[in-house]
Amino acid sequence: MSNNTTEKVRASLQKRYFKEKVFRSIGVVAIVASLSFLVVLLGSIIYKGYPAFKASYIQLDVTLTEETLDVSADAEDSELRRANYLGAIRTALRERFPEVTKRGDKRNLYRLISSGAEYALSDFMMEDRSRFGQTHSLWLLADDEADALLKRNKDLTKPIRTGENAKNKDALITRLNTDQLGWLQSFKEAGETDVRLASTFFTNGDSREAEQAGIRAALIGSAYTLLITFVLSFPIAVAAAIYLEEFAPQNKFTDIVEVNINNLAAVPSIVFGLLGLAVFINYLQLPRSAPVVGGIVLSLMTLPTIIISSRAALKAVPPSIREAARGLGASPVQVVTHHVLPLAMPGILTGTIIGLAQALGETAPLLMIGMVAFIVDIPNSVTDPATVLPVQVFLWADAPERAFTERTSGAILVLLAFLVVMNLTAVLLRKKFERRW
Amino acid sequence: MSVTNLILVTLLLTFLYFVFGRQKAFAVAKTSGGLQGMHSLPSHYGAYVAVWCALPALAIIVGWKLFEPTVIDSMLASSIPDSVHELGEKSVALYRNEINNAVDSNNIASLTDPVKQATATRLASLQNSAMLGLFVLVLCTVIALGVFALKRITPDMTARHRVESVVRSFLFISATIAILTTVGIVLSVLFESLRFFSQVNLIDFVTGLNWSPQTAIRADQVGSTGAFGAIPLFTGTLLISFIAMLVAVPFGLMSAIYLAEYATPRVRAIVKPLLEMLAGIPTVVYGVFAALTVAPLIKDIGSAVGLSVASESALAAGLVMGIMIIPFVSSLSDDVITAVPQSMRDGSFGLGATHSETIRKVVIPAALPGIVGGILLAVSRAIGETMIVVMAAGLAANLTANPLEAVTTVTVQIVTLLTGDQEFDSTKTLAAFALGLMLFVITLVLNVIALYVVRRYREQYE
Amino acid sequence: MSSAAEKAFEELKETVGRVTVDNPKMQAKNVDVFYGDKQAIFDVTCDIGKNEVIAMIGPSGCGKSTFLRCMNRMNDTIPSCRVGGDILLEGDSLYSSSVDPVMLRARVGMVFQKPNPFAKSIYDNVAYGPRIHGLANNRAELDDIVESSLQRAGLFDEVKDRLNAPGTSLSGGQQQRLCIARTIAVNPEVILMDEPCSALDPIATARIEELIDELRENYAIAIVTHSMQQAARVSQRTAYFHLGKLVEVGETKTIFTNPTHELTENYITGRFG
Ligand SMILES: Nc1ncnc2c1ncn2[C@@H]1O[C@H](COP(=O)(O)OP(=O)(O)O)[C@@H](O)[C@H]1O
Ligand SMILES: [Mg+2]
Repeated sequence: MSNNTTEKVRASLQKRYFKEKVFRSIGVVAIVASLSFLVVLLGSIIYKGYPAFKASYIQLDVTLTEETLDVSADAEDSELRRANYLGAIRTALRERFPEVTKRGDKRNLYRLISSGAEYALSDFMMEDRSRFGQTHSLWLLADDEADALLKRNKDLTKPIRTGENAKNKDALITRLNTDQLGWLQSFKEAGETDVRLASTFFTNGDSREAEQAGIRAALIGSAYTLLITFVLSFPIAVAAAIYLEEFAPQNKFTDIVEVNINNLAAVPSIVFGLLGLAVFINYLQLPRSAPVVGGIVLSLMTLPTIIISSRAALKAVPPSIREAARGLGASPVQVVTHHVLPLAMPGILTGTIIGLAQALGETAPLLMIGMVAFIVDIPNSVTDPATVLPVQVFLWADAPERAFTERTSGAILVLLAFLVVMNLTAVLLRKKFERRW
Repeated sequence: MSVTNLILVTLLLTFLYFVFGRQKAFAVAKTSGGLQGMHSLPSHYGAYVAVWCALPALAIIVGWKLFEPTVIDSMLASSIPDSVHELGEKSVALYRNEINNAVDSNNIASLTDPVKQATATRLASLQNSAMLGLFVLVLCTVIALGVFALKRITPDMTARHRVESVVRSFLFISATIAILTTVGIVLSVLFESLRFFSQVNLIDFVTGLNWSPQTAIRADQVGSTGAFGAIPLFTGTLLISFIAMLVAVPFGLMSAIYLAEYATPRVRAIVKPLLEMLAGIPTVVYGVFAALTVAPLIKDIGSAVGLSVASESALAAGLVMGIMIIPFVSSLSDDVITAVPQSMRDGSFGLGATHSETIRKVVIPAALPGIVGGILLAVSRAIGETMIVVMAAGLAANLTANPLEAVTTVTVQIVTLLTGDQEFDSTKTLAAFALGLMLFVITLVLNVIALYVVRRYREQYE
Repeated sequence: MSSAAEKAFEELKETVGRVTVDNPKMQAKNVDVFYGDKQAIFDVTCDIGKNEVIAMIGPSGCGKSTFLRCMNRMNDTIPSCRVGGDILLEGDSLYSSSVDPVMLRARVGMVFQKPNPFAKSIYDNVAYGPRIHGLANNRAELDDIVESSLQRAGLFDEVKDRLNAPGTSLSGGQQQRLCIARTIAVNPEVILMDEPCSALDPIATARIEELIDELRENYAIAIVTHSMQQAARVSQRTAYFHLGKLVEVGETKTIFTNPTHELTENYITGRFG
C-alpha cells in the first residue's frame, strides 16, 4: 500500500514543480509590471517636465529712445513705466531683419518674442533711468513655440511636419512657419539665442502665455492651505486620539465614534468638497476660492488619517509608563501630557506629515469650493482667491497649447519633490525615534 | 485691525494672565501655609486664569463673525435705492455683490455711480465700526474676566480639577468632530438632494436612461426632468471601475502573494516601499498620465489595428485607475496573507504540498474573506475616484459597455455641474448633490461591509 | 540544575543506552542542527523502529521539536536552519539531492502541537493530501480514502453527518483528530507528532492516546511530549533530550523505573524540567 503512494506521488511531481515555477514567475511578473508602471509614469513625467525648468532667450539690440518708446526723457515714472516697450521691441526686430517688409510677415516676426518681454523691458528701464536714450543688447524671453524648438536644440533647417509629410518622423512639429524658422535659425547662427534656467517658472503666477506661466501663486496657495490644514487638524486629531485611547469609556458612543472615523477615512474626497461647498461657502458665506476654506475642508479630510496613526502611536507607549506615573500621584491628564504624549509625539508627527502630504496632493474637493480660478496674482492672505499646486496641474493639463504640457509636468515634478521630502521626513522621523519597549 | 490681529492680541493677553495667575498663586502661598498648603500647583492657577480669559473671548469672536454679515446686510438695505429694490431680489443681490467687491478690494473710487459710492462708503463704515465694536468688546471681556479669575485664587480653590475638566472637554469635543463631519456631510448632501427630488422625480433619476443636464436648464422646456436619468452615469462608473479592478486585483494580489510568501526580507524591504510610492502619487498626476499619455497611446494602437477608439475611452481611464489601486490591493492583501497563521502553512507543508499548492489551496482560501474585504474597499476607492476620470473620461453620458467608447461617471458629472458660474439653486447644481448622495451611500455601504468582513477575519486569527 | 548534574552533562560524550534497533524505519546519524550561528542539536544518533512508538521527552527548549522537524525536512521552511549529519529513511538519506521534500513529506507525515485545520470543510481537510498528490483516481475513491481515514482517526461517527461543515467548527480534540486523519489520508509510513495533546483536555487526550496505540500497527510513530505519563502510556521506547543533546534512550519501562543517567533521573523524578 505504501508503495502505491510513493508511485503516485512520484508520477505527479514533475507537473507540480512546473506549476510551482509558473506560479512563482507570475508573482515576479506582477511585481516587475507594477514597478515598471511606476517607472513609466515617473519617466514620462520627468521626460516631459524637465524642459519646464529651462527657458529660451533671444538677444536683440533694443533702442530705448523718445522715438521708440513714445515718451520724453523727463516723463514721470508712472508714464515711463507705461511707455510703448512693445514698440521698441518691434522696432528692434525690424532693424534686425530689414528685409521683412510685408505686414503679415512682420506680424509673424513679432511672434518670436514672448508678449511678456515688454514688461521685462519696462522693469529694465525703471531700474535705472539713465538707460534712456541708449541702445542695449538685451536677452528677451522667446515665445513658447520658438522656445520649444530652441530648448530641445532642434535642427531648424528640417522641414515642418504637415499634411504631405505626416509620416516623416524627422520633420519638426511646430506651429511656426518656414519664414519664422529661418529667422530663428539666423538668431541661432549668430549666437543670439540662449537656453537658461527658467526662474520665471518659480517667480510668476499663472498666465495665458505658456512661456510666462509659473507656479508661484499655486505654491503660495498650497502653503496657505496646508498651514490652515495643519493648524486645524493637528490639535483636533491629537486631542481626539488622546480621548479615544486614554479617556473614552467603553460604551456605545465610543463605538460609534470609532466606526465613524474608520468610515470617514474611506469617504471619497469629492464628498468632502460637497460638504465644503454647502456648509462653508453657501451657508456660512466664507469666501470662494480661498485657502481658508480649502484648509478647513482638507483638515476634515485628513483628520481620520491623523487620528488613526496618533492612536497607534499612543497605543505603542507601554502601560507600565502610565502606571509608573500614576503611582507617583499624577492625575490622568498629567499622565498623558507629561509622559505619554511626549513619548508618542514622533509617531504622531509621522502620521501628521503623511496626512498633510495627502492633503497637499488633493485636488477634487478644492475644485468644488472654487479653487480652480485662473490666478495670476500671488495671494497675500488666507482669504485671497488662490489655487494650489495640484489644481494648477489640472488647469494646465487642460490647456490646448503644447507648451503647457511641459509646464504641467514641470509642476508635477515640483509637487512630487515636496511629497518626497515630506515622506522622507516622516520615514526618518520614524527611524530616528523608533523605540522597542 | 483684523480678526487675525484680534486673536493674536487675545492670545497675548491670555499668556500675560497666565503669568499673573502663577505669580498670584506664589504670593497667596507665601501668606498662607506655603506651596504645600495650596490645592494645586501655581501653573494650574495660571492656566485657570488663562482659560477664563481665552475661551469666552474666542466664543465672542466666532459668534460675532457668524452674525455680522446678516446684521450689516439688513442695516445696509435702507441705503440701497428703492429703484433697485423694485427690480426684485435678484438685482438687489447683484447690487450688493458689486458693492461688496468694491469694498473688499478697497477700491470704492472704482464705482462710477455716486449712489453706489454712497452705499459702499456706508458699508465700509459699518464694517469698520463693527470691527471696532468687536475689538473693544473682546478686550474688555478678556481684561475683566482675567481680573475676576485672579481674585478667585485661594489656597483651597481646586484649580487643577477645573483646568483638567476643561482639557477633558476639549478632548471629548475633538473626538466628536468626526461625528459632526459625518452629520455635516449627510445633512448638506441630503438637504440639497431633497430639494432636487422635489423638482425631479426620484424614480426618473434612478431609472432614467438619458442624462443631459445642459438642456434641462431651459425653463420653457417640456419634460425637462427626463434629462436627469442617472443610469448612464452609474454604468459608466461601473465600467471604468471594473476595468480598474481587472488591472488592480491580479497585479496587486500576485504582488502581495509574492512579497508575503516568496520574497526574501531584503527584496521585501525594497519592493514594498516602492509599491507604496504608487499610492503616494497624487491622483491628479495619474489624471495627467491618463489624459496625455495613455489615452493617445490606446487611440493610436486602436487605429493601427483598425479599431475606432474614442480619445477619452473608458479603457484609458480604467487602466490608469487600476494602476493607482494596485498598491491599495497589494498592501491590504499583504496584511491579510501575513495574518494567516504559520501553523496552517506548516500543516500543508507537512502533508507534502509544494509552496504554490499551499498558497493556492490553504493560504488564499483562509485569507479569502480578508482579501474580499480589501477588494471591496478598493472598489469603493475606484467608484469615488475623481481626478483621473475628470481628466481622462468623457462628459457625454453614453450607455455602453464598450471600453473603447467614452463614458462619463458620477464624479465627473459632480465636478462638471459644480465648476463654472451658475447660481447655487439651479436644478443642475442640486443634481450634483443628488449624485453626491448616491456616491456617499454606495461607498459607505461598501466600506461598512468591507470593514466588517475584515474585522471578523482578523478576530478569527487573533 | 545541581552542579553535579551540570558536570555530568559536560562530561556527556555519547548517549546512554541502545540508540539503534534491529528493525529500523528511520535512522538519525550524528545529527547537528543550527539556527544561524546557534546550535540547537548536538550530534544526535537515534533509530526509530518499524511499528513502534518512540517518545521524546525533555525540558522545553531542549530541541525535541527541532529534531522531529528534521525527520521530514520541515526545517527547510526556516531559512536560517542548517542540518548536519544524516537521516535515513529505509536506508536512503533524506538530505541527498535525489530526495524530494514533497515526496518525503508524503511518506513521513506530521501532526503539530496546535490543531491546525485548514479553512475548509472537514471533507476537504482530509481530502487535501490525496488531492494534491493525486492519490485518488475518482470521486468514489476519494470518498473512500476520506471515510477510512476519518474512521481510523476515530472521528467518523462524530462528523459523518456534517462533512461539509468547516474544520474549524470542531472542538479542539476533534480538530486534532481531524489533523491526524488528514495525515493518514496520505498513507505515510512514519508519523511525527509534536506534543499533539498539549492543547487538549484530558478526555480528548485519552482518545488521541488510544488512537496512537491503534495506529502503531501500521506506522512508525515518533511523539514529542512534555507529559511523562503520556510517554509511559503510549510509547515502547523513550529518548531523553537535554540542551540539544540526546542523553539517554531505552525501553520506556526502564527509563521510567530505572534511568541510568543522572540527568534523566533528575527529570523523571521531577527535580527540574
Ligand atoms: N526558528 C528558529 N530560529 C531560531 N532558533 C530556534 C528556532 N526554533 C527553535 N529555536 C531554538 O532552538 C532550540 C530548540 O527549540 P525547540 O526545538 O523548539 O525546543 P523544544 O521543542 O524541545 O521545546 C531553542 O533554544 C529555540 O530557541
Ligand atoms: Mg517544541
